[in-house]
Amino acid sequence: MIINGVEIEDTFAEAFSMRATRVIITAINYKWARHAAETMTGFATSVIGCGVEAGIEKVIGNHETPDGRPGISVLLFSTDKKTLEKQLQTRIGQCVLTCPTTAVFPGMEGEDQIALGKNIRYFGDGFQSSKKIGDKRFWRIPVMDGEFLCAETTGYQKAIGGGNILVFARGISHALLACEAAIDAIGMLPNIIMPFPGGGVRSGSKVGSKYKFLNASTNHPFCPTLKGRPDNVLGKNIEAAMEIVIDGLTKEDVTLAMYRGIEAICDLGKSQGIEKITGGNYGGNLGPHHFHLREIMNESYNRYI
Amino acid sequence: MSLTTVTYKGSTKQRLDMRWLSQAINESTNSDTAKNLSLQVGNEKTNVGDVFDISGPLSNQGVVLENSNPSMDYLGHALKTDTELSVKGDAGHFTGAELAGGKLIIDGNVQDYAGCSMSKGLIEITGNGSDYLGSAYAGAKKGMSGGTILVHGNSGNFTGDLLRRGTIMVVGNIGDYCASRMIAGTITNLGTIGKQVGVGMRRGTILLPHKPKDVLTGFHDCGRHNLGYLTLLLHELRQYQSTFQSLHPMRRRVQRYIGDTTVSGQGEMLIWIG
Repeated sequence: MIINGVEIEDTFAEAFSMRATRVIITAINYKWARHAAETMTGFATSVIGCGVEAGIEKVIGNHETPDGRPGISVLLFSTDKKTLEKQLQTRIGQCVLTCPTTAVFPGMEGEDQIALGKNIRYFGDGFQSSKKIGDKRFWRIPVMDGEFLCAETTGYQKAIGGGNILVFARGISHALLACEAAIDAIGMLPNIIMPFPGGGVRSGSKVGSKYKFLNASTNHPFCPTLKGRPDNVLGKNIEAAMEIVIDGLTKEDVTLAMYRGIEAICDLGKSQGIEKITGGNYGGNLGPHHFHLREIMNESYNRYI
Repeated sequence: MSLTTVTYKGSTKQRLDMRWLSQAINESTNSDTAKNLSLQVGNEKTNVGDVFDISGPLSNQGVVLENSNPSMDYLGHALKTDTELSVKGDAGHFTGAELAGGKLIIDGNVQDYAGCSMSKGLIEITGNGSDYLGSAYAGAKKGMSGGTILVHGNSGNFTGDLLRRGTIMVVGNIGDYCASRMIAGTITNLGTIGKQVGVGMRRGTILLPHKPKDVLTGFHDCGRHNLGYLTLLLHELRQYQSTFQSLHPMRRRVQRYIGDTTVSGQGEMLIWIG
């Protein structure tokens, strides 16, 4: 399959099951809400080393947030409920509680709940108070600018992590151009985050390593400086490969994101130095969710557009 | 939705224990069975059918009680979720006591202990409430533990005595000793309030439009604040058709007093400002 001169390889991107939650951070203005959200989602690129993958999902208007203030929606993904809960509380406690004027609300409903302010409340040293409003409990923790308001729990659900697109280009600038176009397109979608810096990844990893203490290592078949090796997959014209990793709440969300990303890259076309799009295929060793690129580009068009 | 109508056709001045009605609604009893239920009226034992007309099955599809009067106690007692009882006229003591999720609408006034020990659901009183609204049974350690009481008129003394959880909304005035021994929960009104507000209060919120004439010495002024949770609370209060809807949804600035410190309480009395 070739779209606008860009080859779509006949392969699939491999993704794995995760647990995800969403919280809504509000503040007196977007500036402070963003400070809190960016801090909370910092050092949250990969579950391999960070415990959780997190990112800003979208900006929420005053009229949509529970307390009528500017808000930002944040998604967090982890491999299991326990880690997700721990990471959420740590990050809320260190990054949002500390940020002036903020409040935190649950971004997911449902029976499956994890603690949000349930344990953070102890920071109140006995001066905290709870208020049950409707069927939700909120904690009010006295802080130096007034009160930190935090819902007791938030919902979580099954999700998919590690959906991806790999771009092969004639140079770094071409690869970056392609990634930025895709990231901008994907960033418009709900229920999706791209947890790596700016959404792009240059250090794509393969499963396993020659070193026993590592379970992931550089994806050497995609490294241009190793093109001379027999297992390298980059062609002569390709000098840079880059990856966009996508975490989504459902398979449909990831599929749509991949479609929009590939579409944006192909819109630039071969004339912009983009040679090929492929996916991170680890032979089925990484996870059960397989996103076949050509199927996505064939079917998604009819399904979502 | 077709409503079942229960009409009181008696004229006794004796008190009537109306727990049979809630029980029949909770158990979706048909009208014939309900009419055969025994009922004590004064020192006479009679059947429900002798005193009430029942037009259909008593179920969760909505029941209307016509011609009620202040001698009818325990109306709406322990109604469960998804049940609704609408009372046309005044009601007696213990109205909505132990309500467990149903909706009870009183188109009139109620007497003492309305909503006492209720745990869930809604009691709406278009007239006035009386003493011990949303409180505990005499001798019990905990009062209302959930749900909402909305009074469109006034309420009496000891409103929310020993309140544990839930919201009491009074459009009009509240009598003396409001929120006495309050454990938690919320009491709010739009009118005046009597003496000794929050005496013995441990936790919870009293939200008032005006500062009481005599703030107890156990309450300490914490200054003026914008409290974010008030937006959420207002959203909750404004969902009911009442004068509370006139409050601006983003109003959040209050004068805050904490107390009652004479019992090491950390409750709060908030006075709207601005």
